[in-house]
Amino acid sequence: MSVHAVVIAREMWDTRDLVGPVLDANGAVKPGAVSTRFEPQDLNALESALRIKEMVGGKVTALSFNAIGDVDVLKECLYRGADEAIRIGANPIDLDTAAAATLAAAAIRRLGDVNLVLVGWTAAEGESSVLGSCLAGLLGMEQISFVDRIVEAGDEFVIGRRAIEMGEEDIRVDLPALLSLGVALIEDDPRAPRPAKAMLKLKHKKTEIPVWSPADLGVPDPASNATTVVAAMESVPERVIESTAVDPEDESGLKAMLERVLKGE
Amino acid sequence: MSEILVYIQIVDGGAGDVSLQALACARSLADSTGGSVTALALGYDIGASVADLVELGADRLLVAEDDRLSHYLTGPYKRVVRSVLDANRFDVVLFPATTEGNDLAPLLAAELGCGCVVGCDAVHVKEGKTLFRRTEFDRKVHTDYEVTVGPAIATLRDGIADIPALGERRGEAQSIAVDLGPADTRAQVVNRDVVPKTVNLKASRVIVAAGAGVGGPDGFALVKDLAEALDAQMGATRAVVDAGWLPADHQIGQTGVTVRPDLYIACGISGAVQHWVGMSDSKTIVAINTDKNAPMMKRAHYRIEADLKTVIPKMIKALSA
Ligand SMILES: Cc1cc2nc3c(=O)[nH]c(=O)nc-3n(C[C@H](O)[C@H](O)[C@H](O)COP(=O)(O)OP(=O)(O)OC[C@H]3O[C@@H](n4cnc5c(N)ncnc54)[C@H](O)[C@@H]3O)c2cc1C
Repeated sequence: MSVHAVVIAREMWDTRDLVGPVLDANGAVKPGAVSTRFEPQDLNALESALRIKEMVGGKVTALSFNAIGDVDVLKECLYRGADEAIRIGANPIDLDTAAAATLAAAAIRRLGDVNLVLVGWTAAEGESSVLGSCLAGLLGMEQISFVDRIVEAGDEFVIGRRAIEMGEEDIRVDLPALLSLGVALIEDDPRAPRPAKAMLKLKHKKTEIPVWSPADLGVPDPASNATTVVAAMESVPERVIESTAVDPEDESGLKAMLERVLKGE
Repeated sequence: MSEILVYIQIVDGGAGDVSLQALACARSLADSTGGSVTALALGYDIGASVADLVELGADRLLVAEDDRLSHYLTGPYKRVVRSVLDANRFDVVLFPATTEGNDLAPLLAAELGCGCVVGCDAVHVKEGKTLFRRTEFDRKVHTDYEVTVGPAIATLRDGIADIPALGERRGEAQSIAVDLGPADTRAQVVNRDVVPKTVNLKASRVIVAAGAGVGGPDGFALVKDLAEALDAQMGATRAVVDAGWLPADHQIGQTGVTVRPDLYIACGISGAVQHWVGMSDSKTIVAINTDKNAPMMKRAHYRIEADLKTVIPKMIKALSA
């Protein structure tokens, strides 16, 4: 049995260091207030899939939804070495996690021979995504969550390392299995995840990515599978802190400041 | 009326803090809606250590003990919780938003076909609906989720509620049968490396925290000296823990502990949101940073734009003078 890995690649709001209000007067995300990026944990999922392929051979297919911004995550997967890409023709903003998972599970079943699924554990913010767990449940696959590193892989098993409170553990699962990836890979290894390759960009310049519609997947009304709704969004009032600059050269100023803060002022 | 189940994670042989906060949250939810609270603890040889859960808010305590539950593993734990969910009717199922809770909760929701919200900062009832609140978009937006297909499963973050003092309440404790099949134990832990806890940062009134800006052992030693001079505990960013300068229980933030000290001195810390969420409730924040535009400098009560290697010795001198 060879490995056919599917990577779920999502385009997500880039919620780092946002300046200014995010919501409009009606409590909806303001167009233009937030840009998008390739979800970093999904990029780790892709990197892990490519490494498993390098270890044991096989094939990597990237799966995504319609674009919500300017980042074509599926092209980005092809530029990094994915063999194939498929777009599910649905807008992810209209779907909660359960609804998105129903579509992704149908696409994975349609591919037929998939025995490994990799996805970021959760977008850190911006949605209550637990897509991996939903998929594992729907596909009946064993799951290892929060994987930071692939320790070992074979044709029929994977050992993943994950951080737990106060340490780490290595878990072995037989395929078929689903791995949800954390963020550590990016942070620990400056070469990972790999960047796009110029040669692959040329190769895939004209590659048309097939689009599978919800109807093609036998899920004509994906939103009917939703299990949550957003009841309200509201801006968090900024905590106003009156900030005082302390001159580092002024030793008596430093001392006075320390005395004040130690007294709780 | 809400029938609520709270999953109690066993940490160091007893009920974990975040689970106890979840229990307190469940108690007030049940009191406001007229329901009852069941606490569920899994492990091996834990009976005595969870006995006081009924005095901390549970009307009923279920304990599952088996040597195959002595360490957390998804398969067997999921099977036991699932059997409790199948045998009882619950409207709301709460987990701590820890690695364990965030692993179990969504998997159970997927199996049951119900809704799940992870990482909630609050649970409140509005117009008869239970809403689960997450803080999103760089902590700028509160989003309230309603679960439309129950039971509503949620994981709750550290800080969701205060742990009450032991009360008078007396609930019933009951042990439940553990019935595991081969399919539940397919995945195996082949290696586990856990270090014992070295510090309790939550109890510290003054924390001096080191970031990547310490640069190396010399800078780190200075921050340590400052902590000693202030009789403070040392906190750290993930960068510092990853560098191996401090053990993991010193890490503050999203994947570390959440602290609320009277005084927090951030030495060479940029103030990334994943760190900020763990210390933003500190009463007074002092930041030392060479970059005046670092987010921590913009949010600190006192900001010292300087190389920590030159300013910390001056601070220590001022303290000893
Ligand atoms: C899902 C997720 C979870 C995470 N969880 C956590 C978490 O729980 N806790 C956590 O801390 N991080 C966490 N992180 C990492 C976080 O994003 C940041 O990478 C991390 O907090 C940065 O640590 P730092 O401030 O020490 O380092 P840096 O961001 O590198 O900042 C170093 C700072 O030091 C300053 N500096 C440099 N030299 C000097 C000097 N000589 N004197 C004074 N200042 C100097 C610099 O100007 C800079 O501002 C998480 C990340 C993700 C994606």
